[in-house]
Amino acid sequence: MKKTESGKTLTARLRSSRLLIPLASIVLTFAVLTIVFVAIGRNPFAAIYSFFQGSGLGMKPSYSKSSSMLTDFLSYLGILSPMLLGSLGVVVGLRGGLFNIGVSGQMLTAGFLATILVGYSKLPPPLSIPLVLLIGLLAGAALGAMIGWLKYRFNVHEVVSSIMFNYIVSFLTGYFIKTKYVDPIIRSSRQVAANARLHIIFKTASGLKLVIPVSIFIAVAMAFLIRFYLERMSGGFEIRMVGFNREGAAYAGVPIRNVMIRTMLISGALAGLAGVTYYLGYYSTMVPKDLPSLGYDAIAVALLGNLGPVSCILSSALITIFQKGAVYMSSATGVVREIASLVTGILLLFSSLGVSMRERSRHYD
Amino acid sequence: MIDKIIIDGLAFSLPLFAMAIGGIFSEKSGITMLALEGIQGFGAFCGAVAFAYLQPVIRGGTQVIVYPVLFAAMLGGMIFALLHAYMSIRFRINQVISGVVVNILAMSLTIFLTGLINEGLTGEPSNKIWLGAAPRFSVPGISRIPVIGAIFRDLYIFAPFIVVFAVVSAILIYKTRFGLRLRACGENPESVEAAGCSVKRIRYLALVICGLLTGLGGMNFAFAFSANFSPTIYMGYGYLAIAALICGNWDIRRTLLTCLIFGFARSGGYQLILKLGMSSDVSDLLLMIPYVLTLLLLLFFSRHNHPPSALGSDYEYDRR
Amino acid sequence: MGDAADHSVVVELLGIRKQFPGVLANDDISLQIRQGEIFAILGENGAGKTTLMNILFGLYRPDEGKIRIRGREVEFSSPRDATALGIGMVHQHFKLVENYTVAQNIILGLEPLKKWLGLFPLVNEKAANKEIALLSDHYGLKVDPRLPVGEASVSVQQRVEILKMLYRKADILILDEPTAMLAPQEIEHLIEVIHELRRHGNTVILITHKLDEIKRLADRCAVLRRGRLVDVFDVASTDTAHMAATMVGQSLDFEIIKEDRPFGEVVLEVENLTVMKERNVTAVRDVSFSVREGEVVALAGVAGNGQVEIVEAVYGQMKASSGRVLLKGRDITGHSIRTRIREGISYVPEDRQRTGLVIDMTLSENLALKTYGQAPFSKRKVMNRTAFKRHANKLIEAYDIRSGSGDATIVHSMSGGNQQKAIVAREIDLGNQLIIFVQPTRGLDIAARTHIHRQIMEERAKGHAILLVSLELDEIMELADTIGVLYNGVLRKIAPAGELTLEEVGQLMLGVGA
Repeated sequence: MKKTESGKTLTARLRSSRLLIPLASIVLTFAVLTIVFVAIGRNPFAAIYSFFQGSGLGMKPSYSKSSSMLTDFLSYLGILSPMLLGSLGVVVGLRGGLFNIGVSGQMLTAGFLATILVGYSKLPPPLSIPLVLLIGLLAGAALGAMIGWLKYRFNVHEVVSSIMFNYIVSFLTGYFIKTKYVDPIIRSSRQVAANARLHIIFKTASGLKLVIPVSIFIAVAMAFLIRFYLERMSGGFEIRMVGFNREGAAYAGVPIRNVMIRTMLISGALAGLAGVTYYLGYYSTMVPKDLPSLGYDAIAVALLGNLGPVSCILSSALITIFQKGAVYMSSATGVVREIASLVTGILLLFSSLGVSMRERSRHYD
Repeated sequence: MIDKIIIDGLAFSLPLFAMAIGGIFSEKSGITMLALEGIQGFGAFCGAVAFAYLQPVIRGGTQVIVYPVLFAAMLGGMIFALLHAYMSIRFRINQVISGVVVNILAMSLTIFLTGLINEGLTGEPSNKIWLGAAPRFSVPGISRIPVIGAIFRDLYIFAPFIVVFAVVSAILIYKTRFGLRLRACGENPESVEAAGCSVKRIRYLALVICGLLTGLGGMNFAFAFSANFSPTIYMGYGYLAIAALICGNWDIRRTLLTCLIFGFARSGGYQLILKLGMSSDVSDLLLMIPYVLTLLLLLFFSRHNHPPSALGSDYEYDRR
Repeated sequence: MGDAADHSVVVELLGIRKQFPGVLANDDISLQIRQGEIFAILGENGAGKTTLMNILFGLYRPDEGKIRIRGREVEFSSPRDATALGIGMVHQHFKLVENYTVAQNIILGLEPLKKWLGLFPLVNEKAANKEIALLSDHYGLKVDPRLPVGEASVSVQQRVEILKMLYRKADILILDEPTAMLAPQEIEHLIEVIHELRRHGNTVILITHKLDEIKRLADRCAVLRRGRLVDVFDVASTDTAHMAATMVGQSLDFEIIKEDRPFGEVVLEVENLTVMKERNVTAVRDVSFSVREGEVVALAGVAGNGQVEIVEAVYGQMKASSGRVLLKGRDITGHSIRTRIREGISYVPEDRQRTGLVIDMTLSENLALKTYGQAPFSKRKVMNRTAFKRHANKLIEAYDIRSGSGDATIVHSMSGGNQQKAIVAREIDLGNQLIIFVQPTRGLDIAARTHIHRQIMEERAKGHAILLVSLELDEIMELADTIGVLYNGVLRKIAPAGELTLEEVGQLMLGVGA
């Protein structure tokens, strides 16, 4: 027999609030965006729609010979994958109480290693693609685990160490790219071999070249996998315990060091996957010393998605629309592309207000 | 060569120190400060904008224009610091998240606005605002002394401001009653509340000071190191400042020492490459030095440091 | 005492009402306190005593009601207003800054200033130190103004809190459970101090749940029960039984049955245990004792004398720098916490919310906090939610754990008493041979307290070994078979309960005596 003190309204309220904040954030952001566009003298609705057009979710007035709304959409999916994967990395970290702000550096490491080890080799696709993915996982995991270990062993704050690694990695890889792997014409790394790229090319009857990103399936699958891990597996349960209350978890016998390293390892692995899908999937070359801003956008996606792995599919879809559609929007409206980052920033601001606000426990005893 | 190391080293250490002191004010009052990167960026942005609009108007050259520019930069820093304060105090957000959010927002906002403003001013949506070289000066007499005199030579115009603010900050934190209450807020805010002082007010004030100092540092970096405002203002120096105050154990003097180490390591490394005649690509590699050094220092010093006891803790401000 | 003529009433509370989410802490309370009297407020934990006084001190604002001080109606916007009118309060959990000196703590908020260079106001530490030394002498409350408060003992810290009030010239002094953390002899000293304060013309309001102290100190006593004022007694003419009955409001059976049984084999053996804390401080020095089946061994001592460190070393949270811990003959000294749990140690910790539970998780998750990885809760690392639910409902029923949504309740919405029930339920359900209890009834009302004491006796009757750490001597005297007294990390004496008197225990706790 259950003894209840208050009615069911409590759970109903909680459930509704989980959806409320993300929705409110989106609405508010759109409102701000509209105001900004009006302030700089542009038609806000056309401008906002142009983001969607650029992402293949709306018809452009005209298309070039080899592209169509479908090819735009596939390209959108190609950049959606690393965004989703990166955000999953942030989610796992945050659920475990650790802030992985080093996604960019982990992406760079993974992308770089995969490029020089497999991207420049002559391996056939059945070998090269799984190898690329494996390197992505391992490289990211290694860097992530290092950050987690530094936190546990030396109490080094993971935000500061992640940022340091971001810059160290960017300088290191930048040096090697400029000296050993550079393609002097495009001034970035030599193009990755077609065999190693993470996509399937499909030529339709009407002569369209469809580039289907393999990575999107991997990313979505990962989202569900991570949710299962966190909610249903004992390893994920431990991660959540430590994230909620490290002291209580230690008291319960959870091996804190192992769990912290495991959390960052998984987080880094996901970021590494994001890296290979970014550098060997969507792109085929690496610009030296360029830290992908996606690493920071992933944080916005994670918070907007309420730290839920499957919700991140939706939130990453939304934010990617702005990131991907910015180029077309810029050419259509003449507004600087960076407004997309601004949108992400504002969305991040509003959604962070939601995630961290919760009923605080009051101590009356 | 040693002279060069000292001059360049100080040029880096001082603005870093200014930001670190800003961080100390915030953290000693109990608010986790990871937002220095964004605050210094926004401060530099405001200063640059002031420069861009005032330069064609004000006579007297850079010597005169520095003052309103500095003022704008400090004001800009204050605005963003208050944003972090508002999120932390009014909404009681996880302060680590809030800090990172402020950084990302500042980056995206300033880059976007720079493009807009440039479009309006020059027709070209560039992402840089040119500032030109910042004025430097040398203290007459002392600067002539070999080696030690280098400390007083070729200083940027901001240096005396930073020194004065540093001294005032030290007195403020350790000798005044505001400082006594501020430090108590970071250790046990309940004791401050019971003494009848407002923890909220003290923390907001601490963040205002943080913003002023950090904006000053950011402006210094923009003027001195890149001669422009652009996305390169976000070089992670804000995080270096945080690392400096962590290694300095939240103490102004030790933080100064750490900042000096960062600065001299950087300038020393650069002089080393010049001396050895290595290619410019290798010099890129040596730009890593401050970050590697930071990591190593953090490794050694994070174990035994003592952050303020109530740092980042969730406090109920309006319990009444 | 005479009639309460209007001008001798110094504090008047009229119709005070204060609501917190889910609980009405003060319900229409009206009180009059006279100048120069020692007025006690009696009630169980959770009766609303501290809330009422926090309102008088200006920390809380009443939802309804008025406050009159010396006949004038007042409204406090912060403790500063109350302090200005001469009201001071010493809380149960001290509000001190550990790395400040005694002097800095006392002057915080009212700092004496000196003008530096004639212009800048700086804190005048020298004047502060002098003033406090004078104050301390005047009232017989010995403190060293330059001592960092973190290094001071609990009773010295309490003196600092009292001096805080006197420095602000308070003459209405509120003391919230002042004897909770003190050894018997320190309690005596405090009683003298309170009498001295009254002699100086102060009015003292004493919040307590200890009847004998009320009898010794108070002139009148108000009884609060569940937020309401039940009665106001004249202490001299009321006996403790009547006060107790009024406080509790029901004639429950509070008797604990403690059977006399022979003890079994040794379950826990602690051999020459030494534990170091940070900065080379020795918390536990060469301590040895054992706990047998069916025996309750209690460790008594003033807070901070090593009891907690002994428990943490036994449980595995702290490392022993030397010595051994043996469980059923096996050396477990280097084992992890998880291993120790599996080998047979249960532990009900002092801090429910920060240690014993993960309050952001559900009740069913918390009830399986230590067993989630084993069958039936998990199979091949995948958790079985139904098993969690079944187990939780079983415990909820058996231990009467009340919550808003049953097993799916997020624990931080549960009351302190029910949270404690959940922890006790979980730990007992583990079926381990050794159960450790630290401050198991802290903050609980007498019904909950009795219930937990009964559970401890039940476990004892089952033949389990029980290690109890408590700051309440009556709890120890009531439950323990064997009592060990700790002072400064040293186990000064350990003997069967029957052979020790309260006085002897008190002396040992303070480092004096045999």
